[in-house]
Amino acid sequence: MAVLHLSQVVGGDLRDAGGERLGRVDDLIVRLEGEEYPPVSGAVASVAGRQVFVPAELIEAITPGRVDLRAERLDLQHFRRRPGEVLLKKDVLDRQMINVDGARLVRANEIELTRLEGWYRAVGVDVSVRGLLRRVVPRALAGRIAAADFLDWASIEPFTGHVPTVRLRVPHPKLARLHPAQLADLVEAASHREGEEIIAAVAENPELEADVFEELEDQHRREFVEERSDDEIAELLARMEADDAADLVLQLPEERREHVIALLSPPHARRVRTLLGFDPATAGGLMSPEFLCLYADATREEALERVARSRVHPDVVAWLYAMTLHRRLHGGVRLADVVRAPEGTRLNDLVASVQMVTPDTELEEVARLMTDFDLTVVPVVDEDQVLLGVVTVDDVLELVLPEGWRRRFNLFGGE
Amino acid sequence: MNRRLLALAAVLGPGLVAANAGNDAGGIATYASVGARYGYDLLWMIVLITVSLIVVQEMAARMGAVTGKGLAELIREQYGPRWSLFSTFSVLLANLGICISEFVGIGAALRLVHVPKYASIPIAAIVIWLLVVRGSYKVAQRVFVAMTIPFFAYPIAAVLAHPHWGAVGRAVVVPHIQLNGPYVVLFVATVGTTITPFMQLYLQSAVVERGLDETDLPAERAEVATASVFANLVAGFIIIATGATLFVHGDHTVNSAADAARALEPFAGRFAEALFAIGLLGASLLAAAILPVTAAYVIAETFGLEKGIARRPREAPVFVATLTVLICIGAVVALLPHIPVIKLLVLVQVVNGVLLPVTLFFVWRLARDPELMGEHRNGRVFDALAAATVLATSGLSLVLVGLTFAGKA
Repeated sequence: MAVLHLSQVVGGDLRDAGGERLGRVDDLIVRLEGEEYPPVSGAVASVAGRQVFVPAELIEAITPGRVDLRAERLDLQHFRRRPGEVLLKKDVLDRQMINVDGARLVRANEIELTRLEGWYRAVGVDVSVRGLLRRVVPRALAGRIAAADFLDWASIEPFTGHVPTVRLRVPHPKLARLHPAQLADLVEAASHREGEEIIAAVAENPELEADVFEELEDQHRREFVEERSDDEIAELLARMEADDAADLVLQLPEERREHVIALLSPPHARRVRTLLGFDPATAGGLMSPEFLCLYADATREEALERVARSRVHPDVVAWLYAMTLHRRLHGGVRLADVVRAPEGTRLNDLVASVQMVTPDTELEEVARLMTDFDLTVVPVVDEDQVLLGVVTVDDVLELVLPEGWRRRFNLFGGE
Repeated sequence: MNRRLLALAAVLGPGLVAANAGNDAGGIATYASVGARYGYDLLWMIVLITVSLIVVQEMAARMGAVTGKGLAELIREQYGPRWSLFSTFSVLLANLGICISEFVGIGAALRLVHVPKYASIPIAAIVIWLLVVRGSYKVAQRVFVAMTIPFFAYPIAAVLAHPHWGAVGRAVVVPHIQLNGPYVVLFVATVGTTITPFMQLYLQSAVVERGLDETDLPAERAEVATASVFANLVAGFIIIATGATLFVHGDHTVNSAADAARALEPFAGRFAEALFAIGLLGASLLAAAILPVTAAYVIAETFGLEKGIARRPREAPVFVATLTVLICIGAVVALLPHIPVIKLLVLVQVVNGVLLPVTLFFVWRLARDPELMGEHRNGRVFDALAAATVLATSGLSLVLVGLTFAGKA
């Protein structure tokens, strides 16, 4: 199966069935929706000074340096883009795309085509320097640079936002394979428009979109919510964890914040408002107001039932808390210990006293407690020792890692 | 209103950084040489260069906002790999030269306060490398920008030197052209040091990195214009200050940093050297930190290498290697014994001036492309100004090359 390099096809001759040269091949056309390896649906060629469309049905063969037609003649149809059509050279080659399997952005140094299931299809993208080199050196030398391994088309997702007739209409189903954190990294690394394209693609699944927003950095969150309406933002916030939602609200201009919060469901709005009242570098600002706290008299079964029914984040339910009848925090127990306890055990017999902090406890102090007592969750209580929320280790780690560690080269000083 | 102010504050950074980095070691050496050699004769072109600089920087900022992409990336996407490699190599060559000149500047500045360059340059190189690879860039930038404040001494020194204001005014308005080697060399050097490719690359990438878009354009334009005017006012005053002191006293050549510092004497007296040293050090460090990273970005964008997601050395080896190599070469060349400091600095600016049209040509072609820029493409008058800038700089480069071959430069 011979592999064709796109850059050796474009710029080549367009020849009729008799081998007569008609003009120059400028580009190949594909449609990206549907098939795994997009088939070539036509070519663009310059014939007698005009850009004409060559439908795939008229093409006999594509070889390096030439495209042969089946017919003796070619109807000179002026080339005009039809919806969904993507030009391989103009729209894909040399541009950024997503390598879904590597979860990173790559640039297409060469596009590889081959005849597969009866027709020419785009089958891969060369991102190696060798692929680029082949296009820089003179044609005679280019043939001697062997094809390198290329990325299978099945693992890439090109951006199409810049293609006038496609704009946001091509879905990017492969992106669903990525973890929200990887998607967020891609959004941050891509240009603003490319980032919008990624977000628009994941927005098909609102839960996933919310997860991606949870992972984005503040500056990027701001960039991508700025242009949305209050309703759209509220919808997004409703699907996010309360602490991340509160962070996002903080990124909005002050005059919009109340409007957006007012659109949330009452419990959610209350949680976000509570969080907004706290300094972000203290336990109060870090905590999530979602947790599981039962009366100390509850049985093991009642507790597990609560865990099963609740929608609280798994990281948070790693610990269950018990309170007295006056709602004072009595102690805590790991979920695993509850599961392992014999049937009918009362929570009271399982819990041990726990380290707790108040909302104004500094971040460093919380981090120290977590380290000293091997905690993944620290409860936050008010002056009456009523549980307000919990701080989870992931929120703390994010802030206490030394600067420079896995830090982006933020050359331009963005936040 | 609030949002606008915020946007303005956001761009205030890169504009000022670019402006200050433009008045780096090479800039000062060139302006001081101009003033010492020709007095006020070349002042008129500072006005023209200011207009050109605003036009060019505005195009770069606008492209960043509209396309969300860096300049090298756009060249690659629109013109393919050959042109992209060509422009990358010209930028790299220019950047390497400037990088050397910044380390020379650092060495010269610290020598004024009696630190030998064999100590200062290696230490500076290590500090800069650490800063760009793992330090807090933002803080460093602020410190460096603050360190260039002493350059405000130049306007004051210029006034205290009692220049003949009538002559200065006439020189600003009336062009004074000579067609001989040294004149054209200094002319090209001045253009090359004021309109520097790395400043456009930096500005465009900075605009992209901050996520500015079309709505921020008015604020950005204002910022670009003020920063350019500010930078060139300082340049103009350096020429006036040196013209009113060195030129008038018959010292027509500037050979060392100490010579250039002497222009500050009317104002700063015996503190002249220390003041000059701080300013020179700040500007040189600033540019020496920006340059390698800009070059590394250009390489990464051209070859489509990793530069985005995580850039620890292990994950982005070429990116980190590029900036390491640049810093090393810059420092090592600057450490060579017996280099004629000011001559070398001016020479680098000449190379820069000759290579400038390559980058400018692409900036101009891209900024007027309707398919890329849509309604934000160059307007008619603006486009004419941009075209004139490209033509003028290309013409100057050709004249210089011609004179060099004729053995007159």
